[in-house]
Amino acid sequence: MKRQPYELANAEDGGAVFWKSLEEKRSSDGLQAMKEAEFPLGVSPDAAPFEGVADLASRPAAGDAASLLSDLSDGELPNGIVAQVSRRGFVKVGAAMTALLGLDGCVRRPVEKIAPYTRSPEYTIPGIPSHYATVVNQRGEALGLLVESHEGRPTKVEGNPDHPASKGAADLLAQASILDLYDPDRSTSPAQGGKAVKYEEFEKAFELLMETTEADAGAKMRVLAAPTNSPTFVRLRDQVRQRFSQARFHTWSAASDSNTREGARLAFGQPMHANYDYARARVIVSLDCDFLQTEPGAVRAMRSFADGRRLREPSDTMSRLYMVESTHSTTGANADHRLRVRARDVERYARLLAKELATAGLELGPVRGALGDASTDGIPDPWVKSVAKEILANRGRALIVVGTRQPARLHALAHALNAALGNVGQVVTYTQVVDVAEQDHASDLRQLALDMDSGKVDTLVILGGNPVYDAPGDVKFGDRLAKVKNTIHLSSRIDETSKACAWHVPLSHPFEAWGDQRSLDGTWSIQQPLIQPLRESKSELELLSLMVGGMMETGDKPRSGYDSVRDTLRQASRATIGFEKQWSTALSRGLLPGSASFAFTPSDVKSADIAAELAKAPAAKGAAGAGQVEVVFAVDSKMVDGRHANNPWLCELPDPMTKIVWDNAAYLSPKTAGELGVASGDVIELSREGASATIAAWVLPGHADGTITVALGWGRTAAGRYGNGRGFDVNRLRSVDALHFTDGVSVKSTGAKYELTQTQDHHSMEGRPVAIDATLDEYKATPNFPQYRTPSPRTLPLWNRRDYSQGHRWGMNVDLSACTGCNACVVACQSENNVATVGKEQVGRGREMLWLRVDRYFIGTDEADPKVAMQPLACVQCEEAPCENVCPVNATAHSPEGLNDMAYNRCIGTRYCANNCPYKVRRFNYLEFQGGEQVGGAPEALYGEMPEVRKLQFNPNVTVRMRGVMEKCTYCVQRIQEGKIASKRSGQPVRDGDITPACAQTCPANAITFGDLNDPTSRVTQAARRDRGYQLLSELGTHPRTTYLGKIRNPNTSPEWTKEKG
Amino acid sequence: MQLFPRALNKLPVIAAVGLTGALVGVVFVFWYYFSPKNLQVGYAPIQPVPYSHRLHAGQLGIDCRYCHANIERSAHAMIPATQTCMGCHSVVKTDSARLANVRASWASGAPIEWVKVHKLPEHAFFDHSAHLAAGVGCSTCHGRIDQMDVVRLDKPISMGWCLECHRDPTPNLRPKDQITNMDWRPENAPPGWQPPAVNPPQHCSGCHR
Repeated sequence: MKRQPYELANAEDGGAVFWKSLEEKRSSDGLQAMKEAEFPLGVSPDAAPFEGVADLASRPAAGDAASLLSDLSDGELPNGIVAQVSRRGFVKVGAAMTALLGLDGCVRRPVEKIAPYTRSPEYTIPGIPSHYATVVNQRGEALGLLVESHEGRPTKVEGNPDHPASKGAADLLAQASILDLYDPDRSTSPAQGGKAVKYEEFEKAFELLMETTEADAGAKMRVLAAPTNSPTFVRLRDQVRQRFSQARFHTWSAASDSNTREGARLAFGQPMHANYDYARARVIVSLDCDFLQTEPGAVRAMRSFADGRRLREPSDTMSRLYMVESTHSTTGANADHRLRVRARDVERYARLLAKELATAGLELGPVRGALGDASTDGIPDPWVKSVAKEILANRGRALIVVGTRQPARLHALAHALNAALGNVGQVVTYTQVVDVAEQDHASDLRQLALDMDSGKVDTLVILGGNPVYDAPGDVKFGDRLAKVKNTIHLSSRIDETSKACAWHVPLSHPFEAWGDQRSLDGTWSIQQPLIQPLRESKSELELLSLMVGGMMETGDKPRSGYDSVRDTLRQASRATIGFEKQWSTALSRGLLPGSASFAFTPSDVKSADIAAELAKAPAAKGAAGAGQVEVVFAVDSKMVDGRHANNPWLCELPDPMTKIVWDNAAYLSPKTAGELGVASGDVIELSREGASATIAAWVLPGHADGTITVALGWGRTAAGRYGNGRGFDVNRLRSVDALHFTDGVSVKSTGAKYELTQTQDHHSMEGRPVAIDATLDEYKATPNFPQYRTPSPRTLPLWNRRDYSQGHRWGMNVDLSACTGCNACVVACQSENNVATVGKEQVGRGREMLWLRVDRYFIGTDEADPKVAMQPLACVQCEEAPCENVCPVNATAHSPEGLNDMAYNRCIGTRYCANNCPYKVRRFNYLEFQGGEQVGGAPEALYGEMPEVRKLQFNPNVTVRMRGVMEKCTYCVQRIQEGKIASKRSGQPVRDGDITPACAQTCPANAITFGDLNDPTSRVTQAARRDRGYQLLSELGTHPRTTYLGKIRNPNTSPEWTKEKG
Repeated sequence: MQLFPRALNKLPVIAAVGLTGALVGVVFVFWYYFSPKNLQVGYAPIQPVPYSHRLHAGQLGIDCRYCHANIERSAHAMIPATQTCMGCHSVVKTDSARLANVRASWASGAPIEWVKVHKLPEHAFFDHSAHLAAGVGCSTCHGRIDQMDVVRLDKPISMGWCLECHRDPTPNLRPKDQITNMDWRPENAPPGWQPPAVNPPQHCSGCHR
């Protein structure tokens, strides 16, 4: 086959084949100017950023790059900015600096002290980090972690390889949770009415309150807590109930998964977790289920999903994912086929599919009759017929999963379908839930609010959570809270709810407190603290213990968190001897061996109950009224429900799909945006039943028409210095009956503009097809398809290439087929390498510092329904690196192992290297982003002064870079050095897998492999040699060490599918 | 009219030669004398405890690793904890005035704040364990510590000095059982012993991360 030239942008085809944003596809001039300018405008910190691409394009001078650049060289910056430093001033300062520089060497370096331990802690060797197994609660999933601790200071989170929920991986939230520990805005002590008090004072007052409450057995006492997966929590709660027999417990989480739970209750008569084996499934139909990103158990699902699609050679098979959804989620981006429907139409589709399956012979019992006559409006025929046929052809391996957003009856229907298809035991297993008593969150919260309103509550203890902020609007939680006499809020900070409560008690971070949790598969893990509470804080368990109070059989003092957890385990283990051994095993491994036996086989599906429920609510048929659209309230991939709002890493992490930073937005399809007359950045007002919220709109290709997605968790007012006022709060639009999505929302454009900052157009690859994909059939026909889609090298080498055949030859491989674009690697890199956050304004100027970015490409000419490819891209460590040749001071140079080293102390900040990097992976410290003295005053509080407490998070093995220094990915060279030194110590050679960079370590999909390319048996060599491997921009002759494996899609190729699709 | 006498005609030449010479002189002085070899070597700050290596390591012959424990496993210098001092000094010289600060630290729990002598810039990451594993002895970088009452910087520990050895480590290697031997000389090597190929890094990321 003759090699084809680039498949570049082609106007006749209606725009670029590969595009990152609508502006790029429509070839906006302003965008072109921005890309060509390389470094966005204005080096002075006072210069204004780009005010959106559209604005730039409207400026007359910005039409072409040449005039833009001439503007710069004239000394008069565009955008009306006046340069503040005069030539005279510059020369003056320059001369003085030169004179002083000479004297600098004469000054003796300041005296430095070494403070060793007084008493050496056991097992602590300074300089050698220890790793502790612990666990965090990710929306009900207990994710097993190993946390690295440097001399008692936790610095980095990694997955626990022994834990079935994580298998060594961690998601972006777990990675970022370490920064929550060092949040400078955590409260330092309990507060009464906003006034700080000592913990003892609170304890005394609380015990007194409990004693008085005891008189009427707690009839007027309520406790509101987040849903729990902790057996100790449940046990202590039962003990509190023993003391206060009339007290009631309520559960609330804004990111509620009650529908999933209630669906299982409907289907089996009791709540239970379903665990899906995506690796074994051949066909997956996801009904609005973003199982790869925001659903509980996403880490496990990602590994399993990727395993089901990992192709070693063309003869391998892979699963096929059909996604039916309204928003454009990460899972949708990974789907082989996406059906864009409104959220409420997902049920309609499910009913049609179930009916088709039943017609084709699937035994559904009474459910079949209750499916109703759903209209096929907007649902193409093959989506029902062809999908049904494929499901039936793969009985036992055809999964149907439903998102937490969808109603319980749909979950029940999916359980019925999975059971009828014989999936149970094959690709679906069930486990018990920890808290059987948990009720539907929204109705439970409403019940509490009504009781508060009618004066039935005079004591309310809120254990975590932030209901004043995140309760649905119609619950009026904040107003009703004022009617309660004694309110106690346990919370990490004085947040919206704490401000409305009489008492605030600081909440311990999971890394500061003992606890226990059960994963979705039942694995029982110990939450082991790594550090004494930094503040005077308590955990939920400790506060519950305080409520249990003197009732404890063991004496008068409330049990500590440690004792409580041990009590639970001791009772559960029944073994009187050998408990200590069990306990220490559980601590060191992070889980109780054999505890996953929580699984059980449910009894038959209660078809009659499901049928009755389905018949009660026939699928909606009518269209929405004029000017009204559906609004979907989505759990945010970063903030969840607002709990991580003050985490600058997460705020600045580009959203996986829209790449928006520091904000949320209302996502809508290009068509709906056109109909409503709004563009990206327009502020719209959403109103419904008297409640209204304003939010900036963002046009997201691939979004369903007639519906708007808004993410929860933003617009906090009392989150802290980083999170306050970021994004838009939409909770007031929610109501108990419409918790996840609702019809009949009127949309009005306010005429105002809001600057949404996004990174999707930064670091443009200029339309070159760098994320190369093919269908399974194309792959079988041309196994090395990626190489045929890039031209061969045209650049002749100017010198003899260096020989790397001796010693190590580090390399990395990224399997685009496995990568889901979840962003966990990005946060892991930030955490490991002390990468700075820069703030929204600086990101707007293209100054984000993330070493590793995940490029999200839209592919195809259809703006409404493009395909998506995700491509993680960091420095690819070119063997013939263009950056090195242009560095005037040799600050970036090659190591004999092929790493493109950065010597920060040598860098003088010419930025030539970044100019010459074809992959655009170099990042420059324009300002003192990590604190220190700010030249010209801090433009934003974010990087004025690094709070002392945040410095505790820094990795001591990586330099904290200063202003004026270039930086980039080095394959985590500190880990490579560590591995090599360890091998020198032991005398054993470095084995494959001994050294793992942070991104590869955390990748839930196992998409990244790293190792020695000189070792023919290493995983990376095997991966790099695969037929679908390719190098990025190989025609430049840079010989990158990071290679990619082309993405394979598995579209339906049956005749009825392709025929109907045209 | 002649404003300047004829003799001044040579002034520009003299000035040019003189100034160039002066400049070269100044550069030479800075270049040579303002190097770590001259500025850093000999730095011997007063320590909070008048601890004598000459006494402990030299006369008493305590192995370096008794106090600097785990130095073969970790990057750090492993300045011993107060506990290590008290291991002996709770029975030896229990009332010596020179040990007052040690006892105070032990009683209060506050660390003894030793003054750092061997200071590397913060962008240089040095690992003791790697060097010991390669067979570089303590005295190679620290000098005759066993003869010092007050620890003194003996070698410039500048980048150029480090690289000298990284380019050719062989003269500075010794058998691993001789690492703490302060008096070791290459000619003491057992017959037939060959320095191993340790292959030290000479590239940036070997030390700068």
